[in-house]
Amino acid sequence: MFKLRPILKTYYDALEEGKVLGMKCQECGDVVWRPLPTCQKCGSTDLEWFDMGDEATIDEIIFENTNLKGDYTFAKANQNFVNKEPYCICVGHFEGGNLFHAALYGVNEDNVDEKISMLPITAKVEFIQMDGGFKSVGFRIKD
Amino acid sequence: MEQKLARSVSIIGTSTLPQRYFDDPMYEGLSIYELWACACHQAMEDAGVKPRDIDKIVYSQMANYVTAGNVLAMVGTLEEWIGLAGKPIIHIEQACASGYIAFMEACNAVASGKCDIVLVAGIETPKHFNSRNQPAHMIRPIAEYEEWWSPGRALFDTTYYRFDGVSDNLLTDEQARLYMKNYGVSEETIDDTYNAMAVNLRRNASRNPRAAERREFAEIAKENGFDDVMEYMRSEEHNRKITRFIRKRGSVLHNVAAGAIVVCSSDIAKKFSQKPIEVIDFASSSNTQRFPYCFHQMNVDVRDALYKDDIDPNELDLMITTVMTSGEQLDSAEVFGYLPEGKGYQYELDGRTCFDGDKPINPHGGDLSFGHAFGASGINMLSEAILQMRGEAGDCQVQKDVRKCLVRGMGGGHTTVGIILETKE
Ligand SMILES: [Zn+2]
Repeated sequence: MFKLRPILKTYYDALEEGKVLGMKCQECGDVVWRPLPTCQKCGSTDLEWFDMGDEATIDEIIFENTNLKGDYTFAKANQNFVNKEPYCICVGHFEGGNLFHAALYGVNEDNVDEKISMLPITAKVEFIQMDGGFKSVGFRIKD
Repeated sequence: MEQKLARSVSIIGTSTLPQRYFDDPMYEGLSIYELWACACHQAMEDAGVKPRDIDKIVYSQMANYVTAGNVLAMVGTLEEWIGLAGKPIIHIEQACASGYIAFMEACNAVASGKCDIVLVAGIETPKHFNSRNQPAHMIRPIAEYEEWWSPGRALFDTTYYRFDGVSDNLLTDEQARLYMKNYGVSEETIDDTYNAMAVNLRRNASRNPRAAERREFAEIAKENGFDDVMEYMRSEEHNRKITRFIRKRGSVLHNVAAGAIVVCSSDIAKKFSQKPIEVIDFASSSNTQRFPYCFHQMNVDVRDALYKDDIDPNELDLMITTVMTSGEQLDSAEVFGYLPEGKGYQYELDGRTCFDGDKPINPHGGDLSFGHAFGASGINMLSEAILQMRGEAGDCQVQKDVRKCLVRGMGGGHTTVGIILETKE
């Protein structure tokens, strides 16, 4: 039986407490982040909250040339982010979890080649304050 | 009755998620996504199928852009919430007819042979929205929406086609004018008929835990010092007129809802369900401008398209119909031959359309008391028909076997649908 319970609210409330939650399938063990109430691997609805920890592996860094006028991933500062520090986009995964796209801080034109050559690398969870009064999850490369 | 589809289609599963408001304790902290997932899984569990068995999803929602963070196409996200990522999905938006049209498209997908098992599901939150770039559980009352938004007026180009001011309520008023003109019924009798209909529907809803409003008007009347419920219903203070003929209690209730149904090819239906329901046929008609009486005209069009060969309305055990305002139920019941022409009002006055009457209409409570969630409503209405046909409707179960059922729906004042279902066992 599907359990009617808050998924989004529980997730966002936990972010306020500095915790990143995913969900773990109780049948096949698959972990999904961001949380979803249905297992993406086996279709089970028997999932429980799972603490994703505070760091993830970054597998790819997507860092576009500043001369490109298209959908810029370099120095992007989302209008809804309170902090306007530039970030780029990454593909990563929490340990044992699925691949995701996220904002990545700490990469710039001077160090991008070096960071890409070091992939995969670990990055710390970075809580991004949104101007709508909630937090989102990004990552920051360790120096 | 014989199925009119190239390949027979059966219903094998339905959701039973109730009609509620977001302030109901049961829905605290939820968003439309949790409700969507719940309804879809309920239907899949009821059908005994797993997400991997579903070949396609047909999803209905009308106001997603307004109510769901200005998102135009939530299809991928919705699939992920129910474990169906990677499957084909189509979004149907045809106002409050969306759910019915989605159901027809799901049946067509099976009838064509392209799919064996299809999930049809809808979601809608008419009274709340979340703003752009905010998580969906951070809901606000629709009145706070930045742009003036009234569903009745968002349905048409009101500059060229239908001038602003001809609301849906006014159009349903036309059904009363037509009725008085054709059958010489007085305005007082129309008022009593509409009030009796509201009382009947609430009586049905009071026995249906899935309905949004479940307190009988007789009880509410007593509480307000009225021994006669009809006196209460006639009182301007407690039940004011919102148009010439329509009173507050004779107008649709809006609430958040999700719903889902699983259809499959009839030759495999028995593998999944003890009580599969066959989809005999369906038809629809759209019409915005054929004044006067366009609601009535769409009913006539759908009836003429649907009733052919061996379909005899006298054989129908049950009619379920959209009732945005009172006139719609009376007009529809007569046009589709469920109640005798020009005499249907007497059935309402005598309570014969109640769940325990001989001509039940909307035993679940109808849009006036069961509730109504735009694009999800058609699916919810079909689900109530399914429960009645299986004998699983609970306390609002009609007092006879429901073998043949007409589900008639309308949305936006521009689309009307008729669907005939039958149990063969
Ligand atoms: Zn699993």
